[in-house]
Amino acid sequence: MMRDARSLLQALREPGSVEALGNDQWPELISIARAESLIGTLAHRLKDVTVPDRVRAILQDAAEAHDLARQQALWEADCARRALADYPGKIVLMKGTAYVAADLAAGVGRSIGDLDIMVAREDLSVVEAALLDAGWEWVKPDPYDDRYYRDYMHELPPLIHRERDRMIDVHHTTLPLTARPTPDARAILDSAIALDNGLRVMAPTDMVLHSIAHLFADGDLAGGLRNLWDINLLVRQFAETDEEFWTDLNVRAKTHGLIKETQRALRLAARLYDTPVYRFSAGHTQFSDYLYARRLLARDGYGRETRKWTRFAFYVRSHWLRMPPLMLARHLWTKWRKGGKSLE
Amino acid sequence: MREMNQIRLGIGPAAFRIASAWRQPLEQLSGLYQDYPAPTDGIVDFTVRLEPEKPWRRYIRPSVHIGGDFWLPDAAPLPLAQGLLAAEMGMNLQMALGWRRHLLLHASSVEKDGKALIMTGLSGSGKSTLSAMLAERGWRFMGDEFALLDLDTGNILPFPRLISLKNQAIGAMRQVAAADRFGPEMKGTPKGDIRHLVPPKPAIERMDESASPALLLFPRFGHEPALRAMGQSEIFVRLTQASTNYVALGKAGFHALTRFVDRVPTKAMDYQSTDQAEELIESLWNQLP
Amino acid sequence: MIQKYRAAPTDDLIWHALDSMTLLFHRPSGITHMLADPAPAILEIMADATLSADEIASRLAAEFDIDSGGDTENIVHARLAELSGLGLVERIPV
Repeated sequence: MMRDARSLLQALREPGSVEALGNDQWPELISIARAESLIGTLAHRLKDVTVPDRVRAILQDAAEAHDLARQQALWEADCARRALADYPGKIVLMKGTAYVAADLAAGVGRSIGDLDIMVAREDLSVVEAALLDAGWEWVKPDPYDDRYYRDYMHELPPLIHRERDRMIDVHHTTLPLTARPTPDARAILDSAIALDNGLRVMAPTDMVLHSIAHLFADGDLAGGLRNLWDINLLVRQFAETDEEFWTDLNVRAKTHGLIKETQRALRLAARLYDTPVYRFSAGHTQFSDYLYARRLLARDGYGRETRKWTRFAFYVRSHWLRMPPLMLARHLWTKWRKGGKSLE
Repeated sequence: MREMNQIRLGIGPAAFRIASAWRQPLEQLSGLYQDYPAPTDGIVDFTVRLEPEKPWRRYIRPSVHIGGDFWLPDAAPLPLAQGLLAAEMGMNLQMALGWRRHLLLHASSVEKDGKALIMTGLSGSGKSTLSAMLAERGWRFMGDEFALLDLDTGNILPFPRLISLKNQAIGAMRQVAAADRFGPEMKGTPKGDIRHLVPPKPAIERMDESASPALLLFPRFGHEPALRAMGQSEIFVRLTQASTNYVALGKAGFHALTRFVDRVPTKAMDYQSTDQAEELIESLWNQLP
Repeated sequence: MIQKYRAAPTDDLIWHALDSMTLLFHRPSGITHMLADPAPAILEIMADATLSADEIASRLAAEFDIDSGGDTENIVHARLAELSGLGLVERIPV
């Protein structure tokens, strides 16, 4: 029985290695890849490798599901573009949708959920009104959640389209306002790159740094292997095509206050995915890298999350990062009082 | 973390691994599925997990959370006594959310002379009970939950899992099927009383054999017996609502479903008893080209 | 300034006629639309051209041998608004 997600990393790093897998191990690898939302990526990586027939069918399904998700993500972005046709400001696509819209390697096989876009903070109400006008509606009727989003988060409360049933998250920066690193949202918008259809994606260094901020700031490192895989591919592609990339990344990490996070992410990417990173950018190995790696790998061959205590520690930690202590206490208290889910 | 117990099951074209924190549901499954061939190479399409909602819930008022490769965030847990139902629901969920090799229709189906009769409708329409009854009266049972529409050939493939009998249907089937084909009686489940029934032998032996769709019915139980013609637009809309993966299949789903609607004669059927339904079905079946 | 419209590229559309309605599968969105007359005729007339509502109305009137004027323009305007909402027609800035 596989006790952690190492076999998935191995398969992604060296696709040929899966030819040694036994029939008992395949279902475990597939459950792990599905649980980590990396099954589409795995399907792409293994497309030229010999695998058993049923595995081939499963990977084929995953590849097709991804093709559809990719198409729908682009369509959803186009719907937002049309809804915001009269908005003169920049609309920056984020995360998965940006990777596929810009045709980056990180977009190949990647799972894509909601549409995330970023606009200037002062324009939020204009953008919100235009989206509401074009058929999007509030998801959360709960006034506490709504205030929480508006006061402390880096985005509007999520909107869902009433006919297409798809969500959009409108951000005005890349991290919650209460988080300690405070990325320079203006700088991100200023250097965003226009696509043919007028929508924008972040400049390479900002894109990498957003992915890094996302890895550490969102949740309890949940879905971390997927985020780290994004970072791995983005870094590889940008470093190969631009020799100034590492220098620019450093400068930009300073601008956004993400130096430590960047170093950590690069070390983890190198450790788990063999990402070739510039040593100066990655800093020195730390003992805690080992804890982060353990947390990221906590998934067994049934697809279950393991190492509950490690995860618990990271959950508290991640809220700590996002919210000052008093606010955290208030937030948790409100959740408990409402009979919401407890921490675990 | 604790090891789980696991078994593998092959049903029609799909193969499952069921992992459980408790032995009981797996023992019940192995018993009821004993005549089904195991997946030949041990490789499965989906993993279903039956696990305690909280660690201590393994022992104290054990409650089964249904997890697996595909899952819903708000699936309510079931008591351990309903573990078999949890496993079946888990398998259905994997198919509904993850299967892409056929268009899935939430429908029952039976076969005769190489031709398939497909019955779909809301729960309470009697489609499941009708398929179980017809299976005891000379038809080959193909499935009571999902009919799999082949995207290339347009044929229907069987997915003959255990027949899930509800409430009055349990008593009715006890009259006609041998006692050793029944699973444990589960009272007071979210869907009422439930008892599983092993399909007749030919359904299992021929579970790889497809059939050409010849008749589609929308049965409705409890009304004066009648047959009603339906417009293509209504049929199409109701089938998209009855399909869990129509949207996920994109263009392939569109082609498969429009072809199905073009080719397959369709009627709405009201009935009050199995005998009435059988009579109406025979009358339609005999007029088929 | 006259508002012009353009329909989704014909290559993106797969049509299928049912008895009373017309199905339209739109590839980029993966959405199946069920259209009542005269929406399919409007999309067909627009083809890959950029047209104003009045131009569409007069072509529609010619095609179906209806008197132009009357309520044709109103109907075309209403359908164009709906089709724009569905992303099947785009308003072209002039």
